Amino acid sequence: MFYSFRSKIIASFLGVTFLVGIVSLLVGGHLLTRSVLGEARNRVAQDLHAAREMYDNRVRMIEVALNITTLGYGFIAALKDRNTSDLVFRMGRMAQHSGLDFAGITDEKGQSICRIGTHSIPGKKAQPPNPIVTQALEKKTLATGTVVLSEEFLKFESPQLAERARVDIIPRPGETPSAEKAVTSGLVLSAGVPILHEGQILGVLYGGILLNRDERIVDTVRGTVFRNEEYKGRSIGRATIFLKDVRVATNVPAQDGGRAIGTKVSQEVRERVFEKSERWTKRALVLTDWYIMAYEPIQDIFNKTVGILGMGVLEEKYVDLRWRTLSIFVLITLAGMALATALGCFMAGKIIDPVNRLIRASQQVTVGSLTPDIGPVSTGEMVVLQKTFKEMVAAMGRRRAESQDRLLLSERQASVGRLAAGVAHEINNPLTGVLTYTHMLLRKKDLNEEVRADLQTIAEATERVRKIVKGLLDFSTQTKLDRELVDVNRLITDTMALMENQALVNGISMAFKPADDLRTVNMDRNQFQNVLLNILINAMDATKPGDNITFSTLNSPVVNEAGQQGIEISIADTGCGIPPEHLNKLFDPFFTTKQVGHGTGLGLSVTLGIVQRHGGTIRVNSEVGNGSTFTIWVPLEGRAR
Amino acid sequence: MKILVVDDESIVLESCRRVLEDRFEVIGAGSAEAALEALRRETIGMILLDIKMPGKDGMSLLKEVKEKWPNIPVIVMSGYATTETVEQVSRTEAATFIAKPFTPDELVEVVAKVINKEGKP
Repeated sequence: MFYSFRSKIIASFLGVTFLVGIVSLLVGGHLLTRSVLGEARNRVAQDLHAAREMYDNRVRMIEVALNITTLGYGFIAALKDRNTSDLVFRMGRMAQHSGLDFAGITDEKGQSICRIGTHSIPGKKAQPPNPIVTQALEKKTLATGTVVLSEEFLKFESPQLAERARVDIIPRPGETPSAEKAVTSGLVLSAGVPILHEGQILGVLYGGILLNRDERIVDTVRGTVFRNEEYKGRSIGRATIFLKDVRVATNVPAQDGGRAIGTKVSQEVRERVFEKSERWTKRALVLTDWYIMAYEPIQDIFNKTVGILGMGVLEEKYVDLRWRTLSIFVLITLAGMALATALGCFMAGKIIDPVNRLIRASQQVTVGSLTPDIGPVSTGEMVVLQKTFKEMVAAMGRRRAESQDRLLLSERQASVGRLAAGVAHEINNPLTGVLTYTHMLLRKKDLNEEVRADLQTIAEATERVRKIVKGLLDFSTQTKLDRELVDVNRLITDTMALMENQALVNGISMAFKPADDLRTVNMDRNQFQNVLLNILINAMDATKPGDNITFSTLNSPVVNEAGQQGIEISIADTGCGIPPEHLNKLFDPFFTTKQVGHGTGLGLSVTLGIVQRHGGTIRVNSEVGNGSTFTIWVPLEGRAR
Repeated sequence: MKILVVDDESIVLESCRRVLEDRFEVIGAGSAEAALEALRRETIGMILLDIKMPGKDGMSLLKEVKEKWPNIPVIVMSGYATTETVEQVSRTEAATFIAKPFTPDELVEVVAKVINKEGKP
């Protein structure tokens, strides 16, 4: 039982800690996931934006390079003169400085004049249409942006270019290979500048960068945006350029250690970004690792979506961060639970140890000890419990002593009663003879005085015996109470009236201080009057002329064990008082301090018997030389004890 | 007038006789049986009856006497004069009660009272 109490306390502590821990884990975990992964998504979105900027910068760089070249000294003249070697030289320098993969000049009709590369001077073969040049000629202004150039065009520019552009498509695991086995066209950043001279278009200077298998943009993005940050040996950031849905430039590594060129984007991304031209962020499995990916469409100069720019951040870093934080949460919770267990044990010990000691003390009391060991004094409520327990044991001790006394007294009274009844009957018969014969003899006229005096003594002695036997009988008989509602104030007045003459003779003044609102008591009027008379007679005997006897009554604030209310009657005298050694014998049968022949020693014993049968008590306070006070407490609705 | 005194104690019988013999004829009976015999034999004017006797006790005798001789007044005597005894006696048809021990004057007074009450000389 004690262990279960201890376990309950510990379990409660644990329960609370566990609950708080779990709730904070759930809430904290949720918030953490949201904020950490949200942060990661934000970062990816920002990184994508930065990547886009870099992509666009690249285009502007081409523009600038082309413009500077057209403005170069002697460029127009060289063009007019069709000095192709000079033009190729100029374009070669430009391409070298700007990292262009191809560059060339067309005439005002779009026909190639010259270009860099292996076949700088075109042959007779007609040049395939170049959308940038076409747009620059049509709009007579700078044309710039992304274009998709056919394999034919690329071959025309340079066979190596077409070779580089070719990307074999690697089907996704579990996906049926599409009919298209390879990408042959090129995703190109390109610009075309119309060459104007005196309001006439002389031709178009064009140039561009083939993005297929180009590592510069994606690696620059990784280097600039992610600063080549690595996590567990893997690059944290990924940048990819898709032509349609095929990776043509990326730094996502392939399983063979190279770059994952030729792999396709998921169907979902293809639909959302490529087909619907939306920006999109999602968690995606890139080969073996989960990334938080952001995609946006790449549009060509005709505003047609031709590819996708994708950025990814390794999710693991954020997931690990989340797990690390959650682990700390869990550790704190576990530590809290351990602390709660320890605290629970400690608290349970604090509570249970005194309780156990009290239980042992109770067991000691059960087997009769009234001085049980309850151990050291505790704190808090336990002190109250210990104090109450001590008081209870002390009260039990007092009660036991009292009940033993009472038992002894009632046993003594019972045996005295039985004896008295027997003795009374046996003595009264011969006593009748003694009384009769003595009185008969006393009636004789011829007695000498000495004999008469002797007979008189016999008669008086016999009267005494008669009184003693009467007292014995009164004491021994437990007569039933004839109860009625009694006005005790009135009863006291009546009783005092009976003794008024005696008081006058003795020179004692009697007074009464009644309570005005004294409640009536259900009692045996006659027997209770005997009680008052007995105490009053005792008071008279204890006083001398000039002393006072004062009666008083009040509605008692005291209730008895049964919770009954009662009244108090005090009879105080200013007489000689009772020596302390006599106080506890006062109510014993046959105890008397009066001269022989002046009392039977049964008066107060009978008095106490009557009060007790009414359910009341008598208390005596006395001081030798200053008088005594008898206080009777009697319940309103007395019940025999 | 004949007074029948019933008591198992001869000293009580003798005492009553000594007190009352001046004015009455006193017949003593030491038991209930002797008392009944005397009642049948004599004309009794009054009975002094002890409650507690060996054999048939006073209360039973009182009941029988009152059935057979309802006009004879009975004074009950007892050495066990408690309130309960007095109550018990008062519920019978006894004329009165006198507690033992008594002085000659007390006995004479009680007997006289009963005679006056019964309206007999």
